Amino acid sequence: MTVAQSSVVLPPFQRRYAQLWTVLVSGGGVVLAFLVGGLLVVIAGGDPLAAFRSMFSGTLGSTFSIGELLVTATPLLIIGLGLALAFRGRVYNIGAEGQLFVGALAGGSLILELHASGTVLIAFAVVAGIVAGALWASVVGYLRARWSVNEVISSLLMNYIGIFGFDYVIRKPLGDPAAGNALASRQLPTSAMLPSVSGLYAHVGIFIALGLVPFVWYAMRATPFGYRIRMMGLNREAAQVAGVNTARLTVVLMALSGGLAGLAGVIQVIGVEGRMDSGISANYGFTAIVVALLGRLSAPGVLAAALLIAFLNVGGQAMSVDNGLPYSIVLAIEGVFVLFVLIADRFGRTR
Amino acid sequence: MNWSGIVGVGLFASGLQLAMPTALAAVGEAFSERSGVLNLGLEGMMLGGALGAFTADYYSGSAAVGVFAGVGIGVLLGALKAFLSVTLKTEQVINGIVLVIFVQGVTAFAYEKLFGSGGTQPEIPALHTVRIPGLASIPWVGPVLFEQNVLFYVSLALVPAVWLLLQRTKFGLAVRAVGERPLAADSVAVRVDLVRWLALLVCGAMAGFAGAVLVIGDVSLFGTNVTAGRGWVAIALVIFGRWNPLIVFGGALLFGVMDALQLRIQAASGGSNSGVPYEVFQALPYLLTLAVMVIATVAARRNAQPAALGIPFRKEVIE
Repeated sequence: MTVAQSSVVLPPFQRRYAQLWTVLVSGGGVVLAFLVGGLLVVIAGGDPLAAFRSMFSGTLGSTFSIGELLVTATPLLIIGLGLALAFRGRVYNIGAEGQLFVGALAGGSLILELHASGTVLIAFAVVAGIVAGALWASVVGYLRARWSVNEVISSLLMNYIGIFGFDYVIRKPLGDPAAGNALASRQLPTSAMLPSVSGLYAHVGIFIALGLVPFVWYAMRATPFGYRIRMMGLNREAAQVAGVNTARLTVVLMALSGGLAGLAGVIQVIGVEGRMDSGISANYGFTAIVVALLGRLSAPGVLAAALLIAFLNVGGQAMSVDNGLPYSIVLAIEGVFVLFVLIADRFGRTR
Repeated sequence: MNWSGIVGVGLFASGLQLAMPTALAAVGEAFSERSGVLNLGLEGMMLGGALGAFTADYYSGSAAVGVFAGVGIGVLLGALKAFLSVTLKTEQVINGIVLVIFVQGVTAFAYEKLFGSGGTQPEIPALHTVRIPGLASIPWVGPVLFEQNVLFYVSLALVPAVWLLLQRTKFGLAVRAVGERPLAADSVAVRVDLVRWLALLVCGAMAGFAGAVLVIGDVSLFGTNVTAGRGWVAIALVIFGRWNPLIVFGGALLFGVMDALQLRIQAASGGSNSGVPYEVFQALPYLLTLAVMVIATVAARRNAQPAALGIPFRKEVIE
């Protein structure tokens, strides 16, 4: 194994100017994202200033739009934190999308089948979602730990299996015939829904997400657990020799990131949709990979990146509706942004 | 159930056509991995090639122009992957995932800009079936292998060519050397990074071609998820084929026949009205790929994999 590695995986915070460089790259990336966005708007035949104006008013212009921003940021932040932990240990879970759906399925089915309601039920549903996502992901972790099966491919393939399983359950056993072609489960009782934040059009899930940030930050920076993760990320063999149970840690990291994706799935069901349908995820499991990478795999970074990406996604919808521009501009911006950060970080390391 | 209708000549003919894009991409991936570079951007390269091919075919009305455009985009993306992995030496897993995200974003925008969203999807004309005189009359083999479209024959010719390039040329020897013992190759004046660059261009070309075969030779339209994970399946099949382009190709085609089989069983058992939920059939190819990859990995352990796979080459570091 080589010593120096990509700083997107391991930020070089021991270097003197590394943090300054990271800030510069992030700032430059945001500027670039808006420049590229402006260019794409022009290509699409629109007016960039008008487009940006509707992006801002569509996200920060009213309590309603701020609520929407926070609701979108919630799953991105929760999943992004889990992926940041796993990626730090070089356990590349790209199956968060499937884990989200499996978690949502477990939590949602529990509520529909128990015919009960109340706080205890919500708590049970949340736990069921976390456990389901964690178990689903730890299959991948076990295969990697036991037989070195490439976790990138296996986790990606399991997305399809999980999502088709979800599709079946909401079509047949728990399906709502009234939903017709829209395919959705029966409606959840309102008493099983997450309470909303008074004054904002958002559910309390955002507090769960925000509460996880210092927790992950502390675990990564100041605990033996975080230290072991970083060791394994730097050099798996050396970590093993130094007494880290790398096999177990691999499974734990998959389970942890999968559990958080499952949590995000349940929150989407009981916080946003009120039933199980495909609307619970706008590709959040994949977008969270962008979030984790843009956030340099650090908890505060992931928080900033989740808010930024949520801003782009929600603002992009407003831009699309107001100005008749393609929403996919946002997807292109995100792609260019993440590519830029990968390249710029590499140059930061050689300075 | 009418089994003779399911397991017939048509099964193999459609199975091979279904599998061809995945098989071509897998051969490209095998080439790249033999040089020591893990290319997880394959799905993105196929998608980029598919859009390039579709757009060029749509506007020029020529399938050949479409194919060249697809290959061209693939080569460009191969160069991007090489720049990130070989020149900058960024983490190969990360830059592969980033490449896929980048291409997904850009193709989604480009397609929406060029063809709009909603309404009827634009289509390109399907290729004619070319019957090879004489050969096509061979029972069984004829209809399966010699009653296909032009791209099918080009693909069949291309794969042995790639195999020859890898196994029987000086360049191929260099590719294999830098994938196994880059330091040793370097000591006999093989330019490791250059060879890896070229290997990734070959891989990009194959992936772009695979995307072109998918849209021009098969589905005739483009969608943002037209590749539907084929690139990832292809990477798994490289492990199954133990990094040998010919075995990888054969394995991928076999896989396609199994895929066609399940589609036919599904149709014969009553389609969406059948007792078995259709989601099972939809998930089956991915489940099978996963099973095959796990079994292949367990069986091969690490000895079939190129020794330097995924490790950037640095002279100063003793490995």
